[in-house]
Amino acid sequence: MPGDDGLLAVRAAEGDEDAFEALVRRHAPGLLRLAASMLGSPGEAEDAVQDAFVSAWRRLPEFRGQSAFATWMHRIVVNRCLNMLRSRRPVADLDSVPEPAAPDHAVSPARAAESHAAAVALGRSLSELSPEQRVCWVLRELEGQSYETIAETVGISPEAARGRVFRARRCLTEAMTAWR
Amino acid sequence: MAMNSGAELPGAGTGPGSGGADEHAEDERLACGRLLSEVWEAGEGGADDPHLRACPHCSAAVRQLDLLGAAVRGAADGGGREPQLDAGALTERVMDVVRLELRPGRPLPLGEREEDLWVREAMAAKALRAAAETVPGVRAGSCRIRPAESGGSPSRGPVRVRLEVVVPLTPGLRDLAEEVRRRVRGAADDALGLPVDHVDVHITDVAEPAGADPAWTDPAGTDPGTVGADEGNQP
Repeated sequence: MPGDDGLLAVRAAEGDEDAFEALVRRHAPGLLRLAASMLGSPGEAEDAVQDAFVSAWRRLPEFRGQSAFATWMHRIVVNRCLNMLRSRRPVADLDSVPEPAAPDHAVSPARAAESHAAAVALGRSLSELSPEQRVCWVLRELEGQSYETIAETVGISPEAARGRVFRARRCLTEAMTAWR
Repeated sequence: MAMNSGAELPGAGTGPGSGGADEHAEDERLACGRLLSEVWEAGEGGADDPHLRACPHCSAAVRQLDLLGAAVRGAADGGGREPQLDAGALTERVMDVVRLELRPGRPLPLGEREEDLWVREAMAAKALRAAAETVPGVRAGSCRIRPAESGGSPSRGPVRVRLEVVVPLTPGLRDLAEEVRRRVRGAADDALGLPVDHVDVHITDVAEPAGADPAWTDPAGTDPGTVGADEGNQP
C-alpha cells in the first residue's frame, strides 16, 4: 500500500532502520529499472540506486514530506544518473564512446537476431545522446512523464525538456532507420 | 525513408532562457509542410487529425516513432535485463551501510534516578510504536521522547512521549486513543523500564477500515490532529 510511505518515511527520519528497509525493498526494483535505462548498465544502475538510498537515509531528517517519498527518491536517482552520465562522458570525443548496452540486451538466446540487432543499434545510439537528452527521453518514453514533471526533475524549463526529448527521438529514429 | 526533406528550420516555442533553441533548430519540415516535432506530438497524443492519417509523410514519421517505441519496449521487457537487477541484494547492501551509520540520537534514562542506564531515543521509539500498533488497525508514525523536566542536558527522570498515529475510522476515537496511550505507557513501564510522565497521542489521519487501503488520506479535509488523548495539562 503506497499510502504507507509517508508513515514509513517519518519513522525512518527518526532513525527507524526497519522502516527504511521497508521503503528500500518497496522502491528498489522500479528505481533499478529506471537507472538501468538511463545508464545502460545494470552494474552502474545498482551503484546509482545504492548511493541514492544511502544519501536519502542521511537526508531524511530534513525530508519534510512536501512531496511523496517515491517522488523524492525518483528525483535523487535521476540526478545521480545525470551526474554519472556527465562524468562518464569525455568531452568532444564521440569515437571513444564505449559500447555499453549491447551485452546487457543480448543475453536471451530466445531473442530473434533481428530484434537483438535493433537493441544493439538502440543501445549504441542511446550512448551518443547527451546526458540531458537521454534522461529526458527515458522519463518521457519509459516513465510517461509530462514535460512539466521532467523539467522539474532535471531542473530545466518545460520547453527545454520538450526540445531534448525531440532531439533524442530524432537521433534514435535516425539510428533505427539507418540500421534497417 | 520518408523524412529526407531535410530543411533545417527553427522551431516555434523556444522562448528566452528555455535552453532549447539548439534542439529545436534540428526540427524538420516534412514534404507536406508540417513540422516533424508537431507531427510527433500529435501522434503521441493520439490526436484525431484526418491529415495525419491520410498524409504519407506524416504517417511515415509517426510509424518511425512507433518502431522506436517497440524497440525500446522489446529491449526493456525481453532483453534478459531483469534477472541481472537484483533488488534484494541491493537492499542488503544499502542496509549494511545504514545500520553502520547510527544517528547519534538523544539518550534517555532507563530505570531509577541513581542508575546509569540509557537508551537511544530511536530504539525506545521503535518499541513504543510497536506497542501502539498492537491496537488493531492503528499505525504509528512520529514518536518523540523528551525529558519531562526541561533544563540540564541529559537529565534523568521521567520522560514525555508524543506519538502520532493513523487510526481506523471507527466511532469512539477517544477511547481508541486512550487505549493506544495505555499500551504505550505499559510498554514503556514494563518492557523498557522507561519512566514515563506523560503520553500524548495525536491522531494525524483516519483510515478506512481494513481492506480498503487506498484511503490513507484525509477524505473531507477535517483536522483529526485536534483529536487526541493527552494526559494532564498542556504546558
